[in-house]
Amino acid sequence: MPRIPTALLRKARTIDAFLPALLAPCRDLHTAQNELRWLREHVEKVAKARRAKRDTLVKGALLGQLVRERAKGKPLQYLLGTEYFGDLEIKCRPGVLIPRQDTAASVTHLAKLVRTAPNLPAELRVLDLCTGTGCIPLLFRHEFTSNRKDFDLRIVGIDISDKSIGLAHYNLLKNERIIQARAGMTNFAKADVLADPFGDLTIGAPLPVRSMLNHNKWAPFWDILISNPPYISPSAYWKTTTRSVRGFEPKLALVPPPKSKFDDRQQGDMFYPRLLKIAEEVEAKIVLLEVADLEQALRVAQLAQKLDVFDGIEIWRDEPDVSSSQPTNEDGFHVYGEGNARSVVCWRSEGGSWLGKSSSPKPPELLQDAPEETSSNSYWPPSYYQSNEVNFNAMPRFMWKRHMGDQRGKPPTRWRTPKTRWREPA
Amino acid sequence: MQLLSPITALVRPRITLSSTVRHALHNSAVLLSKQLPPRRVIPESEIIENFLKGSGPGGQKINKTSSAVQLKHIPTGIVVKYQDTRSRAQNRKIARKLLQDRLEEHELGDDARTRVKAREKSKKKASSDKKKRRKYRALEAGKADEESAEELEGVEELEGDAEVESGDAGKSVGTQGKREGVDKAG
Repeated sequence: MPRIPTALLRKARTIDAFLPALLAPCRDLHTAQNELRWLREHVEKVAKARRAKRDTLVKGALLGQLVRERAKGKPLQYLLGTEYFGDLEIKCRPGVLIPRQDTAASVTHLAKLVRTAPNLPAELRVLDLCTGTGCIPLLFRHEFTSNRKDFDLRIVGIDISDKSIGLAHYNLLKNERIIQARAGMTNFAKADVLADPFGDLTIGAPLPVRSMLNHNKWAPFWDILISNPPYISPSAYWKTTTRSVRGFEPKLALVPPPKSKFDDRQQGDMFYPRLLKIAEEVEAKIVLLEVADLEQALRVAQLAQKLDVFDGIEIWRDEPDVSSSQPTNEDGFHVYGEGNARSVVCWRSEGGSWLGKSSSPKPPELLQDAPEETSSNSYWPPSYYQSNEVNFNAMPRFMWKRHMGDQRGKPPTRWRTPKTRWREPA
Repeated sequence: MQLLSPITALVRPRITLSSTVRHALHNSAVLLSKQLPPRRVIPESEIIENFLKGSGPGGQKINKTSSAVQLKHIPTGIVVKYQDTRSRAQNRKIARKLLQDRLEEHELGDDARTRVKAREKSKKKASSDKKKRRKYRALEAGKADEESAEELEGVEELEGDAEVESGDAGKSVGTQGKREGVDKAG
């Protein structure tokens, strides 16, 4: 990192005595001035709150302390306690990753595409894995309900950390008035995305996603799956992340856990096979996964292509909603928008029309054939696959719940026909 | 007396606690003397939006605090940049408003809403300055009158002062004499 010139430091000193210290993390004068202004506004706000409680506050001392902490590299969002994510102000606390604006751009774009779709189900279900502050579910709901209020939106955010679940609940409470959370459901729960749903459960460990959904009696099928998982490989963590990210943000949210026989790149990509597997299990129509760069985006897209369950896969850059730019083609995948490659989007069946993709590349016969191939090693009777409507008499009683969603006792509002093949547990 | 009692009930001042906040009954905005022209709507297709950021890594790897927005109006080439708030959504909104203002100034010249407002403001300031000047001139004039009056009365006052002084002098002389007497006695 280049050294800050003395002339600049001196110039900063003449403007404000606190500015030279802020130049260290900000690197340029304009940003430093902005940050100092925000810190001052924050101190004023704190002082006002104290005054309301008949308490006093030494403003200069607090500002000095905040500036010193910022100079050491502590993220501004942790000092001020909030970060803006789209239109929402999300609370941040040390120990939980700060929401990034690039994520907000992708989520907003997705919500804008889906909310204009004509053939949405009466109850749209969205699952967000590795939710952190809960910013993605809250923003999705906010963007979605801003012009569509005619149906139920059920959103669940999942994370492994207790701190983040607590913060997500708190954020839901704080933003409730803005996002009209009463229509439908927003909830957060603790689960382990990487855990094997068929493996042995250890006492005290978080449940796998599937088991958690069952345990909470939530629907096993979800329409949209969004995730911003840890995706930085250990070597990239030391080389490319900034000091303030390395020193103050949780490594749990940035780097996947180490595993034996995994090399550096495989460790960075560790979450994606699991996420795609979960997407397949919950029959997600649209999957949005955040990635670090174009290389990782292409690796994830190829992984999704190999699964052979998605009708289409594309890559979005930092600003996917720039209408002027034409999609470029990288390795057979369309890349939309401007900036770094930021997310991989996969869709199937109705998902394509929700996203405004008219063509469905898969012919319908293939879908019809698919169950019959595996019918020999499946333990469901053939009538289960062949009938177009769900035959409740042909399936075991415990499967009824799965087809009736989570509304037990009532007639199912949404009949589902199984389109994916049932697979034996590996 | 029977007629008066309801009136006193109406007139009786209401008990107000110091902690309660009293609001004005009318809270509609004061209308400007002249209605401003309607805002010019800029279609999004005429704007190039840019979120000014470095070419380095993004996403989880960096933690940006600035969310600067730069707008360029394609037909006129006017460029506007805004980064004062932490929210990108807010910055985008304000940047669009700024661009609207610049564009209006470019198209309408002196009829633009910013110019109209500035004129209104400067007019108000000029009139208040004028009032201020008039007030202080009056005060100065008043002072000058008093001074001239004082000059006229000065002679009498001086005489009066002299009397008082002489009186004082006499007293002081008297006390001195006493002291001397005491000293002598000592």
